[in-house]
Amino acid sequence: MIRIEPEPWAAMVAHARASYPNECCGAMLGAIEDDGKTVRQAIALENAFEGAQAARYELRPADLLAADKAARERRMDVIGIYHSHPDCDAYFSATDLQNSCPWYSFVVLSIQKGEFHHANCFLPNFDQTEAPKEELFY
Amino acid sequence: MAKILIPTPLRQFTAKQDSVTVPGATVGEVLAALTTEYPDLRKQIFTEEGKLRSFVNVYLNDEDIRYIGKDAAPAADGDTLSLVPSIAGGTH
Repeated sequence: MIRIEPEPWAAMVAHARASYPNECCGAMLGAIEDDGKTVRQAIALENAFEGAQAARYELRPADLLAADKAARERRMDVIGIYHSHPDCDAYFSATDLQNSCPWYSFVVLSIQKGEFHHANCFLPNFDQTEAPKEELFY
Repeated sequence: MAKILIPTPLRQFTAKQDSVTVPGATVGEVLAALTTEYPDLRKQIFTEEGKLRSFVNVYLNDEDIRYIGKDAAPAADGDTLSLVPSIAGGTH
């Protein structure tokens, strides 16, 4: 179960809307506790995909390293990654799965005609063959 | 001795430590020492053939080891290694 606090959630939605019709991406910082994960801060990261970004995103590892450093300085952890699906549902696509990492929760925000529509969270497995849903509260 | 920063989800394999310090003169030796001391980490980082998993990047301080000699990159006392995943995606 992953819970996103109002402030980071608003930041994620604003980032996804501002990036429309392109995909956005970012890191979610917070804590993993006995009763689940809590996102307390969202860090917007640059979509580094070289090409049309309406249907693709890519995170620079160096940017993720910087987000990890920021999390440690704030006594938080990187617990997930978010990205948007412009004018698509919030599913975990084959491309998402093939380029995922089992270490993190992956939140997908559906942005329809520039406005937030719905979101889901996924937990990809090791072999990048499955990504079951994780219960998401926002 | 180099320090390795452990990503949050992998701390369950390092007795909840967020960083560990292990010996080694090169990045390869440091990673080998890490997975010897914490064997449950091996599957997380390496394939069965002993290669880094496709989604794992290793940084020595702020440098991606792919550009500074890979496993043979020298690791000095006080250096910091980070394990950083490759992540991308799309709608299709």
